[in-house]
Amino acid sequence: MAEKVLRGIASRTSRRSVFTILGGFLAGAAALPLLPVARGAESEPNPQDPNSGQVPPQESGNPQDPGDRTRCDYWRYCAIDGSLCSCYGGSVNTCPPGTEMSPITWIGTCRNPADQRSYIISYNDCCGGVAWGRCACQNNQGDRPVVRPQTNNEVTWCFGTKSQSYTCTVALILGVAIDQKK
Amino acid sequence: MGRSAPAGAVALLIAQLAHPAGVGGAAEPAGVTNAPLAWQNWTLNCQGCHRPDGTGSEGTSPSLAGTVSKFLWVPGGREYIGRVPGVATSSLSNADLAELVNWMLWRFDKEHLPSGFRPFTAAEIGRLRTQPLRLEASQMRAELLKKADESGPP
Repeated sequence: MAEKVLRGIASRTSRRSVFTILGGFLAGAAALPLLPVARGAESEPNPQDPNSGQVPPQESGNPQDPGDRTRCDYWRYCAIDGSLCSCYGGSVNTCPPGTEMSPITWIGTCRNPADQRSYIISYNDCCGGVAWGRCACQNNQGDRPVVRPQTNNEVTWCFGTKSQSYTCTVALILGVAIDQKK
Repeated sequence: MGRSAPAGAVALLIAQLAHPAGVGGAAEPAGVTNAPLAWQNWTLNCQGCHRPDGTGSEGTSPSLAGTVSKFLWVPGGREYIGRVPGVATSSLSNADLAELVNWMLWRFDKEHLPSGFRPFTAAEIGRLRTQPLRLEASQMRAELLKKADESGPP
């Protein structure tokens, strides 16, 4: 029975036409990822990302500490180089669950627009989680070239933690800075 | 508040009796005219690696707490403090750096400050930092602390 079917197909088709059909399938498969449909699928929110989709604004509600902590232009982020923990299930002060705050930090100063005073800010990296690259900010006030590593904020500061894999950064207020006349 | 003063005085007396001969424990840092500024310079330039309590990070930033003033017990130790990479390569001025070093000795290891401690001056720090230590710093540190522990306070 099977032999009859195969012989029937063989008598109706040439070898060249088989290659044509196969070639068509191959070319089509290669072109699929280039189609708009495929690109659309890639930009869908990642279901494993706990903050996938829109991150709602996080405001302190305190007029002395104004701004949205999920945006790079929030005043405490003036010297941050990394991803905001506010977008990872943590906050401006706390690491996301499952990560560990590094005790070794990059420290700078930022001016608070509410009182126009400079505050000492500690940028602690949170380490040991998955880095999604969400809410990445590149603000470099007071940053120095990497030849001075102790004052360079591109260094990953995941030292003194169990894991050296970087997840995100928080911005803690350590105190009010003394204004110095230059 | 009135009742706490005698208790404070007794505590100070006990603290003074508890100190071994030849070391200080001064209530105020010597050679520091602006302690809040010294703290700020510490915070912005040193604390990130040496940690707020001066306990440091193994392998990169040695502990200062309970050890740093012992360098002043032995020949070469005072020079080491001015030449160690974190001090010598700092972006601070000589005057600010001298105050910071004086403050740091008091803040993290006042118990081991020699009683005749001469505070660092801007001129001395300026001279010492022109010869920064590099990789040899950790070996020098270990040797100096070993000598200090063997000799005890001056």
